[in-house]
Amino acid sequence: MTAEEQRVCMELLQLAGQIIMVSGGETYRVEETITRMGAALGLGEVGCFAVPSGIMISFRLADGTAEAVVKRVRPGSTDLSRVDRVNGISRLLEAGKITMPEALEQLQAIRDEPSSGRWLPLAAAICAGGFALMFGGGIPDFLVAFAVAGLAQMLLGLLTGRMHMQSLAAAFLGSMVETLLPMLTALLWPVIRPETVIAGALMPLLPGLAMTKAVQDTLRGDMLSGTSHGVQALLTAALVAGGTLVASAIFRLLTGGAAG
Amino acid sequence: MMTELLRALVSSFLGVLGFAVLVNAPKRSMLPAALIGTGAYVVYWALLQLGASEPAAVFVGAMTGSMAGLWCSGRMRMIGTVFLMMSIVSFVPGLGLYRCMEFLGNGQTGLGAEQGVAAMIDIAMIVLGQGLGSYLFRSLKRLLSAKQERNRQRTP
Repeated sequence: MTAEEQRVCMELLQLAGQIIMVSGGETYRVEETITRMGAALGLGEVGCFAVPSGIMISFRLADGTAEAVVKRVRPGSTDLSRVDRVNGISRLLEAGKITMPEALEQLQAIRDEPSSGRWLPLAAAICAGGFALMFGGGIPDFLVAFAVAGLAQMLLGLLTGRMHMQSLAAAFLGSMVETLLPMLTALLWPVIRPETVIAGALMPLLPGLAMTKAVQDTLRGDMLSGTSHGVQALLTAALVAGGTLVASAIFRLLTGGAAG
Repeated sequence: MMTELLRALVSSFLGVLGFAVLVNAPKRSMLPAALIGTGAYVVYWALLQLGASEPAAVFVGAMTGSMAGLWCSGRMRMIGTVFLMMSIVSFVPGLGLYRCMEFLGNGQTGLGAEQGVAAMIDIAMIVLGQGLGSYLFRSLKRLLSAKQERNRQRTP
């Protein structure tokens, strides 16, 4: 393997791991994918140690020397289709159906794709409306939850995208908005039940993915990442709950305790 | 009863499908993932109708959902995360957390703590159910693969 091929190998492994981690994949998946891809590329003693904030990759060259690289990873927006596509590229590479340069090209294309947030407000709206119905709401509750969650998702997209706000802070603000708006709507349209609307609207903010990652990483024996994802899930839930509490207090201050 | 079942089916399907789009799940996984999430919720709902306790129903729902999710991810050759997450999303206790905060905000600490503890128990049951479901599914899969391998070796 020439020096150039080694450089491409390292870039390919780093990029695959980085895309999976940034897009919301589990830590064990990063380690498994990098190890498998490395072996498929003919590298010796491929090792990978990943934590939610970084990836360390090492392998041994033909002359016996070891190469290692450390990559800092910052969390990005959740995009499970990217994780799935990287997984697919890894499978194809392992099966010998694509070459190293083709794999790198495909990974770079995934990395450079702009994230599509166009449908997210509608998705959040449908999700919230559905859960409002699940919690015993009627059609008016569905409609208000639909509108509130859609608006809140637009606001979150603006805060985390253009204004670069941390996702945890955005969850706090989002839950405040999703609590205040239904309470104020209930003053004008008393037919709705703020409790079901708020609970439904809050569901898209709750940490389903972090919980899943915590369970899956822990099950694979990665206690460090499992604990890290577990703490993230707890912190997100606490901030969502805190936002609700603050919004209720503001509402009571504004109305002197009317409705809600 | 039928109206309630219909409500459970429609509401969980919409909720889970919306969530799948929200996390940018792969397009071809959205419908099966939403159906698995709906199925898991219907299991939970049916158990509640039969008189099971809330934590037990959440546990069984999360366990069956995660087993179905892993099976589907293997069949479709897709990442399991999508299906696993969608199978538990309906059980996340959003209403319980909200009630807890509402009671605490009103100064009703006892009621707030009661709701908070119930929500925490539900979360623990989701984690346990998903964990056990994943473990059982992978163990069964390993056993079956080993058996198939033995049979193949025996065949002349």
